[in-house]
Amino acid sequence: MAVDRRGFLKFVAGATTGVLATPVPWKLLDDVSIWTQNWPWIPRNVDGENSYVSTISKLCPSAAGMKVRLVGPRPVRVLPDDNHPLSMGGITALAAAEVQLMYSPSRVKRPLKHAGDGAFVAISWEEAEKMLKENLRRAGSKVAYVSGDETGTINELLSGMAKESGSEDFYVMPSEVQPAARAFASMNGNGQLGYDIENSDYVFAIGANILESWGTVLRNRAAYKNSHPAAEKPTVKFVYAGPVQNNTAAGSDEWLPAKSGTEAIVAMGIANLLIKAGATIDAPDFAEFKALAAQFTPQKVAALAGVTPAKLKAITAELSKAKRPVVLTGSEFGQGTGVATVLAGTAVNMLLGGFGREGGVTAIPLAPKVIASGMDRAEIADKDLVAYLSRISAGKVATPRAMVFYEANPVYGLPQPAAMAKVMDKVPFKVAFTSFLDETAEACDLILPTPLGLERFDDVESPYGINQAFYGLARPVAPCVIDGKPAADVLLGVAGQLNMDLGFETFEEVLQAKAEAAGADWDSLMEGEFFTSDAVAEQSDLRIAADVIGKALAAAPKPAKLSIAPVQKLNIGTPNTAIPPYNNKTIRRWELQKNEMYVAMNGATARELGVVKHQRIKLSNSSGSIQARVNIFEGVMPNTIAVLMGFGHTAFDEFSKGKGENVMELLTVGYEAGTGQSVWNVAGVNVSKA
Amino acid sequence: MEERLLHPADGNSTSRQFGGAAPFFVGLVVALIFGWWAFPGLLFSEQEQPINFSHKVHIQDAEMECSACHYFREDGTFAGLPTTESCAECHSDEPLGEDPEEARFIKEYVETGKEVKWRVYQAQPDNVFFSHAAHSLESCNACHDFSETELCSQCHIDVANMDKAPTYYENKLTKYSKQTMKMWQCERCHAHPEHYGVTRSSNACFVCHK
Repeated sequence: MAVDRRGFLKFVAGATTGVLATPVPWKLLDDVSIWTQNWPWIPRNVDGENSYVSTISKLCPSAAGMKVRLVGPRPVRVLPDDNHPLSMGGITALAAAEVQLMYSPSRVKRPLKHAGDGAFVAISWEEAEKMLKENLRRAGSKVAYVSGDETGTINELLSGMAKESGSEDFYVMPSEVQPAARAFASMNGNGQLGYDIENSDYVFAIGANILESWGTVLRNRAAYKNSHPAAEKPTVKFVYAGPVQNNTAAGSDEWLPAKSGTEAIVAMGIANLLIKAGATIDAPDFAEFKALAAQFTPQKVAALAGVTPAKLKAITAELSKAKRPVVLTGSEFGQGTGVATVLAGTAVNMLLGGFGREGGVTAIPLAPKVIASGMDRAEIADKDLVAYLSRISAGKVATPRAMVFYEANPVYGLPQPAAMAKVMDKVPFKVAFTSFLDETAEACDLILPTPLGLERFDDVESPYGINQAFYGLARPVAPCVIDGKPAADVLLGVAGQLNMDLGFETFEEVLQAKAEAAGADWDSLMEGEFFTSDAVAEQSDLRIAADVIGKALAAAPKPAKLSIAPVQKLNIGTPNTAIPPYNNKTIRRWELQKNEMYVAMNGATARELGVVKHQRIKLSNSSGSIQARVNIFEGVMPNTIAVLMGFGHTAFDEFSKGKGENVMELLTVGYEAGTGQSVWNVAGVNVSKA
Repeated sequence: MEERLLHPADGNSTSRQFGGAAPFFVGLVVALIFGWWAFPGLLFSEQEQPINFSHKVHIQDAEMECSACHYFREDGTFAGLPTTESCAECHSDEPLGEDPEEARFIKEYVETGKEVKWRVYQAQPDNVFFSHAAHSLESCNACHDFSETELCSQCHIDVANMDKAPTYYENKLTKYSKQTMKMWQCERCHAHPEHYGVTRSSNACFVCHK
């Protein structure tokens, strides 16, 4: 039977009616709505058992103790660790981002070499290690090693390799550690300075950004938290002296505006008043110190540092009245300060009877080195990277034929980075052991990916500022998500092939030996325990080093009419990490908008400069220039411009690259008279409308 | 010019001319057969479990409870399906029974440490938050008198008496199981006023959709 048009339409009408009486349209409608939620890029939960591993952050400069939460074998979150002496129930913004940094888009995923046309080419580990070995052999004694780790035993390995090659050139990236160690050494001190903030009843931080970046930040914060119970009167007074109301100043009970780079002058002003009130120090050079301190009258301190005489006297009176005061000196941005800053602060502590007293300053013993040819901490502290690069630039020392960078990013993180990069350009072979494709890695011939602290064995020995000897392990909590190898193991292998005698075959053996040297029990460390000791380093013939302070302050650069004050915040990362993608949302709109950064100044300074809020300006000096927009903030002292550190990366990923500009461009290197320590805590700047 | 007629010239009736209602009913029946019989076969693919698992042997012969394998961890989270490691606590070197599937499980999974990719009949999307802890015997037996097996089978397929693991039907479009619960099934309890009165199991969106 032929089906005509009308018959067909009837069939369709019947079929349509029938379909409506079946699940077809209704089920398909429902399923399509579910199907639209199944895009492949939507993350899926992975179920598993919750477990927690106690470890230490190797990315955070304060060596934050932390507990990593794992779901099944996968780390998902970093949490505070109440029982860890380097956490004490707190976590830093950088350590909190560490799990997410494992999956950072800027992680180096496999060994890379720089091809002739400038592109990076993936190579095998075998080829990479061969290239490293041949270049180190070719360089011979003309090799330099740079480390970005302040607390690890890997520094003994790196310095040992340098020395085995016949080179003395091993350096650690500059921080608070070097000036402090050199200061204590010039006092004939033994051990490392430690500050007992938690047992103090009056905490005066001069420059030292103790609640954000100075020393063992989480211990400092725990002491602050315990002494500042919510809705109750604080039991300990915290006072901060510095040019900007940074996080430490904001938390402190009193902020004392003091010009950038004048920490030693403020401390000497207090010493002056304390000595006048009868305080003394039992040290052979006290008379010399007394004469020196007499020069720093309140009026002189006011002229140099901007602290009014009345305020200085009031703080001194409170310090004298307190039973267990402690004074902490340092740079407000964690680097670039001189030896005299620490010496002047220690002298004030001695005048307050705080050296060796509970709630004061102590000297903690350091574990002896385990690699015989390596350098110990005191030797390392004497090595000044900025001075070394400057000497190469000036032609005073030979350019090395090879440079090895271990988790260090000097091309971004040193003052006058363009000049420093130019020096490094002259080096024929450069290799970077790094987790991220940073500015230094991009300038290297060979890039070797290292597992993060969460993926490898590493150690932490007594970070600067801690008031008891500490040793602990960073343990791998997860398999390495990239094709990486621990730098220490690669270097030990290469060292063996180059016939260097470092005394160890594997890095685990090195760590075991170090743990034993520190007095720690290896098995306990492997279970996440840590070693602490209240032992104190014995001192003899301790002096104030008044001559060192005198020489340094006599030639100290005068604060400029308009100066910049770099501000460090851990959420914005370090030169090694850049801005962790996890943390971009913590950057405030008056700090960065899209790719433009803001600098802060107070209303009076803005009026004097003739600029208004949001205006685009150019900051320049003899070192370089940066552009930014203006934010008005009354928490910046007059004639000062606060500039956040951590912006202006030219490497890494979309979360950091091209965001703002690098304040290090404006920091000019000088050398402290007497000690020769490189300093960059005073920088004048000119402002023009951009 | 051709003459156009409103009526057939040969005198045939209208019903014969257009086949009457027959095409309509043919279409209706074809659609009903397709919709109710052929469509499910096209929408779902049939899949068997990688290893046949007999709940009957474990529950009736070995007298185990559901919670012997599907337990709450110490931290309160629900373990869900047991891992190969937990199965290996009993099924390690030699098979305990005669079933060749058990021997295959030991050879292919226990000895290699591989996890079985079980097909989960009740898998829900990640935007559905379900806590087994909130649906415990303690909570439900405030009024009911469920055994563990009875409680589990309120939502899950009642596999307690099954010797063969049921066939898994995967929706080709959504990739979810045919047997998984839809929201209206959750609402049988959640929207029940008496349940809310006792358990405070609100039917608000955010209770399940976090």
